[in-house]
Amino acid sequence: MHALQFVAKRLLLMIPILIGISILTFAISNTIPGDPARLILGPKATPEGLEALREDMGLNDPLYVQYGRYMGGIAQGDLGQSTYSQRPVLNDLLRYSPATFELTMFAMVVTLVVGIPFGIISASRKDKLADQFTRIFALLGVAMPAFWLGLLLLLFFYLKLGVLPGSGRLDGGMAPPDYITGMYTVDALLTGNWPVLYAAIMHLILPGLTLAAVTIGMITRMTRSSMLSVLKSDYIRTAYAKGAPENRVLYGHALRNGVMPVITLLGMAFGHALGGSVLVEAVFSWPGLGQYAVNAINYLDFPAVMGVTLLIAVIFILVNLIVDTLYFFIDPRLKHN
Amino acid sequence: MLLKVKDLSLSLKKNGKYATILDHISFQVEKGETVGIVGESGCGKSMTALSLMRLLPEKARLDGEINLMDENIAKYSKRKLEKIRGNQVSMIFQDPLTSLNPLQTVGTQIEESLILHRNMTKEERRTRVLKLLKDVGLPRAEELVNEYPHQLSGGMRQRVMIAIAMACEPQLLICDEPTTALDVTIQAQILELMGEIKRRTQMGIIMITHDMGVVAEVCDRVIVMYAGKIVEQGPVRELFQNPTHPYTIGLLDSIPKLGQRKQKLGSIPGTVPAPGNMPAGCRFAERCRHTMDICRTTVPPMFDIKDGHQSACWLFDEKGGDQDGVVRSDELETALHH
Repeated sequence: MHALQFVAKRLLLMIPILIGISILTFAISNTIPGDPARLILGPKATPEGLEALREDMGLNDPLYVQYGRYMGGIAQGDLGQSTYSQRPVLNDLLRYSPATFELTMFAMVVTLVVGIPFGIISASRKDKLADQFTRIFALLGVAMPAFWLGLLLLLFFYLKLGVLPGSGRLDGGMAPPDYITGMYTVDALLTGNWPVLYAAIMHLILPGLTLAAVTIGMITRMTRSSMLSVLKSDYIRTAYAKGAPENRVLYGHALRNGVMPVITLLGMAFGHALGGSVLVEAVFSWPGLGQYAVNAINYLDFPAVMGVTLLIAVIFILVNLIVDTLYFFIDPRLKHN
Repeated sequence: MLLKVKDLSLSLKKNGKYATILDHISFQVEKGETVGIVGESGCGKSMTALSLMRLLPEKARLDGEINLMDENIAKYSKRKLEKIRGNQVSMIFQDPLTSLNPLQTVGTQIEESLILHRNMTKEERRTRVLKLLKDVGLPRAEELVNEYPHQLSGGMRQRVMIAIAMACEPQLLICDEPTTALDVTIQAQILELMGEIKRRTQMGIIMITHDMGVVAEVCDRVIVMYAGKIVEQGPVRELFQNPTHPYTIGLLDSIPKLGQRKQKLGSIPGTVPAPGNMPAGCRFAERCRHTMDICRTTVPPMFDIKDGHQSACWLFDEKGGDQDGVVRSDELETALHH
């Protein structure tokens, strides 16, 4: 009951947040220098032709009129037409987002599988060798720019060792699996297409690791500090006083308490990974939203830029909402209050 | 003899060097006996309790013997200790609000000791948990097992803590300020419960407190600690009626008494010396009204006063006292009638 109210309230709150984001993005993309009409028509365009196109695209109207028109369209499910791809932005988003979503999800799984155990090890062996090692690892992950780490990984695993593919989502010439979700690994799994599944996973490894480096660092450090404070608490002493061995105390009592603040951070990490995918997709030629966004910016394709921004904002807010709702299932104190 | 602690010393590492927290503590607890440990904050009474359970920080140095039923557990390995904790020796902590895991049900937390130490089926464990809850005076046990600590009041939580401690019927129960965090009315209930448990089982209890009222209520014998050392110990009645150590006298003098019109409560001037910076002789010398030369140079041993009543004060050195138990020096005579 309480959880439902909470979700409803948060969903309603999304509306003003999204309006705010749309105003910001709209204002920024329309005030940066550059003329979309000139980019479309090219260097040989006549002044009359440019003027006609500007008029046609509504670029001569005041900004608030353009914004009103755009928001009116959104209310009807119309995100406008991409000036670059000449397709409705909504179609483009649906087409490119599964690739990005797949990559981000992969990075998040890697983050969870690596980050939380690293944090636990780090906390339970505080100031020992394992702690120092994970600390260096986490700091490197956070400090290294994604595009540079991506290039290093490419250089080593693709060019030098040749054990992992360097770009794209599948091996050259391989047909994608039947479309169900658009995420190749999921679709291949659902259709039992094993060679494609294998190739899709191999292609995910390098960009996924690049994307996860930062979030692993974040989650490791957060898990460590959270576990350290939990391990100092009285109920941990109670558990030891009962005669519980260290591992039972660590995983039976401390972990669930310690992982709570980490869950909040997980939502943030997801947003970080979504944003980071723009750079990573460029390095690994990953045909997702990031690449689409980069192209859109290069061609001053405002409707496309707006569309990508809003979509990422919506996903980010939804993921954080899911994460916050998870608390209701983990923390009994919220359930009963 | 249930517990015999001999020359127990504890040092903790602080800022790179070891500071002495406990200094040659020796005492005994008999089966069915309740021993109180009193003293002001920081005197080492809680650390004594944690040392007995070996629940110390990793960088702690523990010397001496802790003989639990003739087994010296001071040198036990982690594995062997785990078999004793919660099984032969249990502990109840001060703050029942924070001593229970907020994410586990009451039932799960009581059951854990049984899982760890007893070979019981799930059904047997459930029956035992329900019985334990009833034994500590908690109503509607069937519902309670599925509830979380935050749904209970402070007194109920402390009863749950007691149920956890009692789960495996330990021979020794260590209570570290079990009533300090509770309302006065609840305090009385908890003490009554402890007394009842004491009568029912033949358990030895160590009651750590700074509340003389609690000591008078439940203890058979009492140990007074000051700055990591035992300064006086003896049977409760004897020690309360006939306190000998100037610190104990000061401690008892600082308690308000009903029916006694007194302008001012007694207080002890000065502060406790810091661990790592202890004086050479008696640790109370700086604050004592009867300090003699020997107090500043030599640590006083325990002097026998009367059967089982001992005091670590130079005033009771043979040279200054007579033989027949009521050992009094002129110095102390004035102190007692002050």
